[in-house]
Amino acid sequence: MGKKKQKVVLPPELPPEVLDKDIEVSDEDLQFVNQNLDYAGFVSNLDTHSITKHVTRVADVKEDALESLYEKRLRKKQPNKKIEENAIEVDPVDALPVKTLDGKLYYRTVPREIKKVESESNEGDATGHDMGLAKLTKAEKRAKLKKSRKEAKKQAKEEVQQTPQADVLDEVKNDLTAEEANESKKYKLAELGMALLADPESNIKSLREMLEISKDGNRAIVVLGLKSLLAVFKDIVPGYRIRLPTEKEQEMKVSKEVKKMRLYESTLLSSYKAYVQRLIAIEQQTIYKRVSVRCICTLLSAVPHFNFRENLLAAVVRNISSQDDVVRNLCCATVKSLFINEGKHGGEATVEAVQMIAELVKTSDCQLHPDSVQVFLSLSFDEDLGKPHVADVDGKSKNKKSKKRKGFEEPNHLPDNGKKKTRQEMMTRTRDEVNADFKAASFTQDLSERRRMQSQTLSAVFQTFFRILKHTMHPTSEASSLLGASGSHPLLAPCLNGIGKFSHLIDLDFMADLMNYLRKLAGKSSKSGDLSENSSNYLTVSERLLCCIVAFKVMKNNLDALNVDLQDFFVQFYTLILEYRPGRDQGEILAEALKIMLCDDRQHDMQRAAAFIKRLATFSLCFGSAESMAALVTVKHLLQKNVKCRNLLENDAGGGSFAGAIVKYQPYASDPNLSGALASVLWELNLLTKHYNPAISTMASGISTMGCANNQVYHSIVSPQQAFKESSLEQESIVPSGGIKISNKKRKPGKDKLSSVKVRPDVNMKHQSDENEVRKKLTEHFLLLRDITENQRLRGELERTTLSLNLYEQYKKQKKQKRKTKMA
Amino acid sequence: MRPLDEKETTVVFDKLYKFVGNNLQKIVMENPSYEGPDPNPGRYCFRLQKNRVYYVSESLVKRATNIKREKLVSMGTQIGKFTKSDKFHLTIQGLNLLAANARHKVWLKPTSEMSFLYGNSVLKGGVGRITENIQVNDGVVVYSMADVPLGFGVAAKSTQDCRKMDPNGIVVHHHADIGEYLRMEDEL
Repeated sequence: MGKKKQKVVLPPELPPEVLDKDIEVSDEDLQFVNQNLDYAGFVSNLDTHSITKHVTRVADVKEDALESLYEKRLRKKQPNKKIEENAIEVDPVDALPVKTLDGKLYYRTVPREIKKVESESNEGDATGHDMGLAKLTKAEKRAKLKKSRKEAKKQAKEEVQQTPQADVLDEVKNDLTAEEANESKKYKLAELGMALLADPESNIKSLREMLEISKDGNRAIVVLGLKSLLAVFKDIVPGYRIRLPTEKEQEMKVSKEVKKMRLYESTLLSSYKAYVQRLIAIEQQTIYKRVSVRCICTLLSAVPHFNFRENLLAAVVRNISSQDDVVRNLCCATVKSLFINEGKHGGEATVEAVQMIAELVKTSDCQLHPDSVQVFLSLSFDEDLGKPHVADVDGKSKNKKSKKRKGFEEPNHLPDNGKKKTRQEMMTRTRDEVNADFKAASFTQDLSERRRMQSQTLSAVFQTFFRILKHTMHPTSEASSLLGASGSHPLLAPCLNGIGKFSHLIDLDFMADLMNYLRKLAGKSSKSGDLSENSSNYLTVSERLLCCIVAFKVMKNNLDALNVDLQDFFVQFYTLILEYRPGRDQGEILAEALKIMLCDDRQHDMQRAAAFIKRLATFSLCFGSAESMAALVTVKHLLQKNVKCRNLLENDAGGGSFAGAIVKYQPYASDPNLSGALASVLWELNLLTKHYNPAISTMASGISTMGCANNQVYHSIVSPQQAFKESSLEQESIVPSGGIKISNKKRKPGKDKLSSVKVRPDVNMKHQSDENEVRKKLTEHFLLLRDITENQRLRGELERTTLSLNLYEQYKKQKKQKRKTKMA
Repeated sequence: MRPLDEKETTVVFDKLYKFVGNNLQKIVMENPSYEGPDPNPGRYCFRLQKNRVYYVSESLVKRATNIKREKLVSMGTQIGKFTKSDKFHLTIQGLNLLAANARHKVWLKPTSEMSFLYGNSVLKGGVGRITENIQVNDGVVVYSMADVPLGFGVAAKSTQDCRKMDPNGIVVHHHADIGEYLRMEDEL
């Protein structure tokens, strides 16, 4: 709305003053006037007073005052003009004024409003609802702003204009008021938001207005308000933490800019605080839970360095184990992003978050969703966190030496050194100052500060892990009575994974305790000896396998001191292989355990290696392709590494000369060392060569002929995990319609690519949100299948028809020939 | 030859327990013996003859009773002997039995095998591999890297402490090794 600039136009000069009595009216004039009284009537109706006022108003006034006069006049005129503008702006059809019997014209203002509102609301719908705030263009925003101002003025004017349609209008108004009000609030939000984003410093007060709007009763408005505030804050919040000025600073005289800045900062901070409080209060109510959690999470990940981070973090951590999948995923993602983007907040948020999660684990007695501890796996620590502080010590000793030297040289060169010393001191002092200034200016952290924070984080993390382990060992009596058997240790799996990942940072003192715990945990089966430890205390096979894996990982990472052999875990693993059941337990974990414990470069006891080979061969007879493949790969590996075990491939039933102390194989022995496997023979391989899966049969025949060659240069590169994965995926794929390539013995078993179409529905049924994708993929897959069968059928038909056609032609030929012979 | 009495049995079993742990049950009761004409496997037992303790199958004991006490030199496997002051020591001839059932093992690097076979103790620098969870004064059987039992001894340090030791510390005190067959032929 621009003020119309008026050129200062002076009225024309007045005619020379002529007194009334000097005017002589001619006769003709008089006659004319008497005849045409009607026409001349206007002269008597002239409002001389106002005209003189009009004319004299501007005449004697000087230039500047003149301008201001005109401006005042304009201002008075404007509201009237605006209404007139309204009349022109919208549909002229509806803008027809109403003429009452009195002759007065009433412009239809109120209905036009409704029409306008409807048209605007249509616009609003078109631009999209929830996040449509940012999408409205600036021009539209300005138009809406104008309209809102006009509406406001109109509200005032309505009371003045009492139209006869007032009753009808009132009714209509009441119906549409709610919708109107909502729309108006939405647009207000939009304008305020855009204004803030455009120029935050001057429009900072609008934050309060937005907050007010978001306190509305209507749920949609509240949601919109919160979300728009979120968008605004994300962009407005500065890159530093606001510190409000102290009493002293406030008393100081400061420049205008600083004052403005302070005002801006304090307003921002107070409205941010109100917003955060509102979010946290609203989070308790279930209808708003998702929205508020989403807002909190976005705020936290966007501006983790700002004030009130602790409150936001507390809210997030509280919800990190919620039953609601969406909420939980949001919180976990936020915490993970906090850990990964450490640059944004300088590491303090990491420490706080980890400590809070540790508290949560403690108070909830380790009954949380595994995701809450899974976030720890995204932590990362400096490599040299475990090594002690060597630098400082060196520095200090160097200082001492240099000081001694100085003191020694002093008495010799006193007069010269006096000046030099002071100059040196000055130099060092200035250098220190420069360093300090540089450090303050650049936001890089002091190394020791960073180290301290990381060690705090690490200690909290390990505290949590050990607490979880302890809880698994001795669950409280209430828990064991309430909960069932395997469900009582939800946090064990991520805890073990975490220990495996951070094993290189564990202090050696804790290592013994940790190994003790792991040993006890691995040994817990459903038939534990003590009556006090009920079945509620037993761990599933997968969990026990995980314990073994973690123990080995820990050992591997601490190999620098001593090569320690984990006898007990091998014993446990030996029995676990027998207890494994394919449906109930996870095959991937078994494959990983096989890899880590047996295939990695470890030198084995002959008896023990032979025992594992024999047991794994028997194992591969009992289960499906996937487990068999993994087991066979391991067997091959072990046979290649331990040359002595190759007498298992020979037919010496008594073991020949290699048997060792035990002459007969004990299949049910629980200790691999006492199994006497060196005295057995691998007859299972013979059976496996007749396996239905070609990969397994080739593998088995490969192994049985391994003993012949003296020098085995060919190493199997496939790990049991890969073999397991590949074999299990092959199972899921459709049965190939084309021919299967006969695999060469030399070819690696896992890489047997079937020539036909291999549709791999990578079905991941775990995520509810991917259901639609899954459905789509499944329909695609089945459509494809159907098409293929259709194709085949049609091809068959085609062949048949061509065959019959050929036959017919032959028949015709034959007939012709017959006829010819007959004729001839 | 006579069977061991109460006190002697406890002493022998204690010593064996230090080396084999819970496998003692296997040694004493569940070890089947195919020696002798009897088709069913028999059992093993301990007998004392001239201050030496032997681990013998029962069928062999039956047949050995036919020999005069003074003329009987040895039977079965000697596992140890009692000293004049009635202390029991395990001897090297029992190595096979111990090695088959050992709980705690130490593998020596090839360079330090000879040192051990000459009667020296095992240093940390010579240890190739060591079983986890060894405590002080546990019985340890010493192997070469090819899993050939070389002898046995007593642990001087636990595995934990072993990690932090310097390479010249003693890990296993020497008790007996197979080099004794050559060095102390007369005393066996």
